[in-house]
Amino acid sequence: MLKGHRRLDDVTTNMAALGTARRLLRTCSRVKNVQRGEQRSVRCGLRTLCSGTRDHALSDNTRPQFTDPAVQDLLTRMTGLDLQKVFRPIKEELKPPTYKLMTDQQLEEAVELATQQAEKLLQMPPLLSERKPISDVLSVDKILDGMDTAKYVFTDITYNILHRERFIVVREPDGTLRKASWEERDRLVQVYFPKEGRKLTAPLIFKEGNLKMVFSQDRHEDVLDLCLVQFEPDSSDYIRVHAATYEDLDKHGKYELLRSTRHFGGMTWYLLGARRADGLIVDMLKRDLLQDAVSLVSLFHMVHPHSESAQEAASQQAAGADLLKIYADKESQKSGYIELALQAYEQLTTKKSSAE
Amino acid sequence: NVHILPIYENYHGGYVVIRLALAGHKQANRPFYRIVAAYNKRARDGKYLEQLGSYDPLPNIYNEKLVSFNFDRIKYWIGCGAHPTKPVAKLLGLAGFFPLHPMTITEAERRRAQTELIATEDVLQEGQKEAEV
Repeated sequence: MLKGHRRLDDVTTNMAALGTARRLLRTCSRVKNVQRGEQRSVRCGLRTLCSGTRDHALSDNTRPQFTDPAVQDLLTRMTGLDLQKVFRPIKEELKPPTYKLMTDQQLEEAVELATQQAEKLLQMPPLLSERKPISDVLSVDKILDGMDTAKYVFTDITYNILHRERFIVVREPDGTLRKASWEERDRLVQVYFPKEGRKLTAPLIFKEGNLKMVFSQDRHEDVLDLCLVQFEPDSSDYIRVHAATYEDLDKHGKYELLRSTRHFGGMTWYLLGARRADGLIVDMLKRDLLQDAVSLVSLFHMVHPHSESAQEAASQQAAGADLLKIYADKESQKSGYIELALQAYEQLTTKKSSAE
Repeated sequence: NVHILPIYENYHGGYVVIRLALAGHKQANRPFYRIVAAYNKRARDGKYLEQLGSYDPLPNIYNEKLVSFNFDRIKYWIGCGAHPTKPVAKLLGLAGFFPLHPMTITEAERRRAQTELIATEDVLQEGQKEAEV
């Protein structure tokens, strides 16, 4: 693991009391996760191709995966790039603001640099299926039974190996030498190779009741950032917290909270997998984002090509608002809303064109 | 204390050992060992060549004793002719890197004998109490 990329920004964490200062590891955690994300997607490419647990309709290798470039392209477009939201002020140490005098051209260049930076910050965290528990026993030595009251945990400290491939073994008091479980592994790797922001025991915010409280305060994004830092992407805790967050967002329709953040893609993928993207489409139409709604429907057709609306659309070669109409007819439960919103949008566009 | 100068290490027949060095001398009753490659005649906690790991003899809240080994560098030093001491050899045997040390087995047997002895004593005592009653 490369440790040389620590930013010099101060980081304050205050997880003892819930509902206090925002985490501001965004820069650190994003830069770090970029590298880790790349490593993992390269190494786990084979695994993701062979896993298809989300939808039982399709379980072949032909199913589009989260990492497909077409899917990623659609998801990034839907995420949007609101510079004001991405670079909104986060709590840092008090510095007087710096003012620069720029020409128009320099300003444009600065904005372009900012957009590139924002794209890097908005890179989606990896999405993996849940890891299988390790239950490998290396040796059973009955002669050692009762040698000690405590277990011995042996970790390999060699610097140049990946944390996933490290040898971490446990010698139980009854003499069995077994490989350490995933939770033990995470904890020990954090002990010997501490990662910034990660705690040895998970913060209490990830318990069910506390999650509900935080959701009522509209702080889904903070929870997801914390979760990203604390847990491995294929651990059960990570998947559980993400699922709970997305469910809550879907229930209350608060999609706007995640709109210009890196978690938007994950949320859309989850909702598509569960076939509950209606609320999202309605929200998009309310905010006049027709393009996003269309790309969402096309993504739905890519993920579920055997559904009725997908086959209809393929047969009619529809595009744009027609796709939405087909989807509204065939698939969605809130078709009334979608049709109303479509009509309203069409009225608006006709008014604008007639005004011009 | 024989104060060894660098050029004398080979001259006096000094050799490298892999042993436990006590760290954290500022705290009483809280031992913590570093697994260290050092010259034989050096002080136990003195200057070492390289740290190869750590050993915490007190169990933590999960009832684990944490031991860490840098196997890559241990292999190097053993290849250079370093001798591990008895406790280090025992730990490496428990880890599975070395074959099991005979004293580990002996200690386990002794402990089992001890526990059996205590168990039989308890049974005898209970028998006596019942007999009295």
